[in-house]
Amino acid sequence: MTLPRPYGLAAEFEDADQLLTAARAARAEGYRRFEGYSPYPIRELFEVIPQGNVTAKFVLPGLVFGAGVAGGFLGYYMQYFIAAVVYPTDIAGKPLNSWLAFVVITAAIALLFALITAFGGTLFFEKFPRIYNPLFRIPTFHRVSNDGFFLCIEATDGHFHPNRTARFLASLEPLQVWEVDCE
Amino acid sequence: MRVAERQQQTARPILPVERTDLPLVAPGVTFRSLTGRVVANVLQPDVPLFWFWCYLAAIAAACVFSTALAIVLDVGIGVMGNNIPVAWVFPIANYVWWIEIAVGGSLLSSILRLTNQGWRSSINRIAESVTLAGIVCAGLFPIIHLGRSWVAYWTLPYPNTMIIQPNFRSPLVWDVFGIGTYALASVLFWYMDLLPDLATMRDHATSRISYFLYGLLSLGWSGASHHWRLHERAGLLLAGILTPLVFTVHTVVSFDFCISLVPGWHSTIFPPYFVTGAILAGISMVALMTTWVRSSFRLTSIITERHLNNLSKLILTTSVIMAYVYVFEPFINWYSGNYFDIYSTYVRSAGNFAWTYWAFILLGLGVPQLLWWKKNRITPRRLFVIALLIVIGMWLERYMLMVTSLSRDYLPSYWANFAATGADNALLYGSIGLFLCIFLLLIRALPMIPMYEIRMLLPLSKPGGGSVK
Repeated sequence: MTLPRPYGLAAEFEDADQLLTAARAARAEGYRRFEGYSPYPIRELFEVIPQGNVTAKFVLPGLVFGAGVAGGFLGYYMQYFIAAVVYPTDIAGKPLNSWLAFVVITAAIALLFALITAFGGTLFFEKFPRIYNPLFRIPTFHRVSNDGFFLCIEATDGHFHPNRTARFLASLEPLQVWEVDCE
Repeated sequence: MRVAERQQQTARPILPVERTDLPLVAPGVTFRSLTGRVVANVLQPDVPLFWFWCYLAAIAAACVFSTALAIVLDVGIGVMGNNIPVAWVFPIANYVWWIEIAVGGSLLSSILRLTNQGWRSSINRIAESVTLAGIVCAGLFPIIHLGRSWVAYWTLPYPNTMIIQPNFRSPLVWDVFGIGTYALASVLFWYMDLLPDLATMRDHATSRISYFLYGLLSLGWSGASHHWRLHERAGLLLAGILTPLVFTVHTVVSFDFCISLVPGWHSTIFPPYFVTGAILAGISMVALMTTWVRSSFRLTSIITERHLNNLSKLILTTSVIMAYVYVFEPFINWYSGNYFDIYSTYVRSAGNFAWTYWAFILLGLGVPQLLWWKKNRITPRRLFVIALLIVIGMWLERYMLMVTSLSRDYLPSYWANFAATGADNALLYGSIGLFLCIFLLLIRALPMIPMYEIRMLLPLSKPGGGSVK
């Protein structure tokens, strides 16, 4: 029987200030692969844990903008193609490619594309759906969606050492330190 | 005296002003009491008695709706009162009205979010539930009005063996795309906003089935910092996308009218006038539902008087803009010198349906003025009645808009009258039941307060909600 692969060590804290202090300490200690878990977004924590910052700041908005522009072009082209090429109808001699009348649907389709990209992109970058998470095995982890604050240093961090990291986390005065296995 | 010194003497800093605002969340609310309060409303095994009776009544009305719908589909739209030339009365008035009601919720979740209005949080979920239920009702009426509802998909451009395509120069086709995008935007926004709260529900689930369902719907939300980062950004992006939709959706609806040549409709004031009306009706409906839910579920510590006060101020502002439109429109009609436009003003205020015009003036423009008094703004019962009257007034307004213009067209030989039939009334009142059904289910099965946003408003979360008061 092989021992389960460790996922990391998680420390549970009483409030957001402690979590923030702990995260800053972990960063100063040289850890890079760690993550804070909280019941609401803590903006100061975003700077300490830079994962996903670039995605959120540039990649996602860029994709959404690009999708919107592409949607606008496609939407206009669809209308032009149908009204002027495939199914031309002469209504009171109005021009077939009457762009002014196409503005509304062009905008609607541009927004539709942007919308789907914003939603789908967020789920994609969050790697959702991911129903199972090793941390869910921590008996008190349900508090994270209510009033619990966790800091998890992952085992994939080059700096990670089961005993040393545990001692480091214990020095931050958490409520408890949990050993979490993968799987 | 040197300039700098003089400035120091004449310009004294007066900020921060001592603000006497009512609190956003009642003092004493903690993370735990907040979660307990909201979760209990969803998970309590006994159905609250008032909810049960309301739901029963709503279901009964929804049954009336489906019966009427079945008759209309089976017999044909001749059972409704509208006919040429008055072709657009109840179904389209209902459609415009329901879209208006939906827009109110979107305004809260888009523009007020982008402008960082902290007070929006507590009532956001209720407003979004109003939006979703409103869109469902709104979407049905144009389809019913098509006559052959089962081929409603013909309005979409798709390759077909008939080799016919929609006419993109028609505002009615614009509507299909406008409303479709808006409906999808509302659903996605609502779900994105719901994710963290679904995780809370998962973690508090009492039965295996609810644990499984909430677990599945929350997609595995763990509250990780970089998920929050993305979630916040996605919320802003979606709010940014929803913002133009709040305006365009009702602008496109108004195009259905103003691009025609019917006297009284053919006017450039229609888009802003419709959007204002939408915000007035929508926020009134949100206020109506908020006061009701607040007292029924005893949420007075989370939805405070400040929320009612702010909602009332929004209603008051839009009602004043609406009053401006009602002064300006007759003026423009008179100033245009166009005989038919002048006559349409006359028909509205003194014709067969003048009572709807004056009823709207009273309910939609007069009643909101009561909100100048603070007591009326923050007393839930009073606000409830005022909001209800405004919502009714806004329906009458849309009804008046259609029936007066269509029944008195250019040629007297083309004039006709309109009388609503049983099917018309059944569909209107039934759709209110349908709306309440969906709304009641949404607030019962899902947390009706966005918990994670309220947590940020609590003083306990100092490092988090620095920017929100």
